[in-house]
Amino acid sequence: MPANPHPLLAHLSAGSDEGPDALHTCRILLVDDDDLVRARLAALLRQSNYEVEVAASGEEALRLMSTSAFQMVITDWEMPEMDGLALCRCVRVSQDQGYVYLLMLTVRASPEDLAAGFAAGADDYVVKGAPINEILARLEVGRRIVYVERSLRASRANLQLAFTDPVTNTHNLRYFLLQLPRELARSRRYLHPLAVLTCEMEGLDQIQARHGFETAAALLRAFVNRAANCLRTSSDWLARTGRSEFTIVLPETKTFGANRVLEKLQRAFGFEPVATPTGPLPLATRISVTAVEDGRAPGSALRLESLMQSASRALRSGETRSATDSPLPAFDALRIGKHGLN
Amino acid sequence: MGSIRRWPRPEAPPSLRDELGELRIAFQVRMHSERVHLVALSAELARAEGDPGIIYDDLAVRARRLQGGAEVLEFDEVAAAADSLEKAAYRAAALHTDNADTSVWNALVALVSVMGSYDAR
Repeated sequence: MPANPHPLLAHLSAGSDEGPDALHTCRILLVDDDDLVRARLAALLRQSNYEVEVAASGEEALRLMSTSAFQMVITDWEMPEMDGLALCRCVRVSQDQGYVYLLMLTVRASPEDLAAGFAAGADDYVVKGAPINEILARLEVGRRIVYVERSLRASRANLQLAFTDPVTNTHNLRYFLLQLPRELARSRRYLHPLAVLTCEMEGLDQIQARHGFETAAALLRAFVNRAANCLRTSSDWLARTGRSEFTIVLPETKTFGANRVLEKLQRAFGFEPVATPTGPLPLATRISVTAVEDGRAPGSALRLESLMQSASRALRSGETRSATDSPLPAFDALRIGKHGLN
Repeated sequence: MGSIRRWPRPEAPPSLRDELGELRIAFQVRMHSERVHLVALSAELARAEGDPGIIYDDLAVRARRLQGGAEVLEFDEVAAAADSLEKAAYRAAALHTDNADTSVWNALVALVSVMGSYDAR
């Protein structure tokens, strides 16, 4: 269970800031070492309402792309310093601006050249001398592909945000309510064990009242970081399920294993105070274990279900409350845990 | 997925026609100096002894570059002649032919001739 389940979140959320107009904007980088060819093609593209920048070599193109976003690149093949094939390969390796549609525009027209262009990562290949209408039609195909890719990316970013706690950047209550029933159903169906740890950070409200939001947030983040180091990255996960509460889900884990994790967590939390903006503070946490052994613990399963029901009520109550009530997300109607079950 | 070449070109709007006109004039100036280079290379080729591969390579590169500009700026005859020279020179270099390769000479003469016709206009 990584502390930050969404390493691309910052990047994706940047994408989600794009408004509908930004999604339709299509900037083209035109790369050709011939200044007359550049001038002619740039004029034709601008006439067709494309936003165009020009570069005289692959290296210059990469420099421009590192400082500015382009959705499409039209590149010549033979150029000094870095040719079009090398440029295509570089763009394909480092696509941190999202998908870039690459069109090669060259005089090289043999089938081998065409295959080499596609192998380098070009999406389309046009031989110089093709009428501008053909080039524009092909660019329109590229524009459609780029638009679909950007829309998908923005949707995915919004989805990620919906399941992420903004303070700790870990999963939130909504994710918990979606995912725990799945884990429980899997546990029942295959008779596999499942353990759930409910953790409550003690005195967080008082700390926030006394030292402010940043200090409370530092403690919450420290909880997530330290807990993540005690969990299996491949299967375990945690979610912030209340103002000061987290739930850790351990699939394929029996009571014994859950208690081992509990001990590791207690050691991690008690290891040293957390450095906060107002000085070091202890990470006081109460943890309880609920475990379903091989699907044959109906009592525990029922408790997990009631836990989900109370969480669901908390989510509804939190959603109807004003977001300005507290800087920490307001799910304080949720009071789960403290069962001390196994 | 090669493009279909040499379709009838659509009529460009007036502003683009003006801009194309200016770029074509600039290209004609370039063609003039390129023609001088090609004539110098032909003299060098005529004098070459042994394998004139370097000269063929130079011809192929110049012809290819010329073709690119000519295609975009709509000098169709120049583009076609440059294409022929590039292919002939590339083949001659690959086959290590001597300096009397007929297809290279024919293509070279044709290209220099068609470029010269623009000088005269």
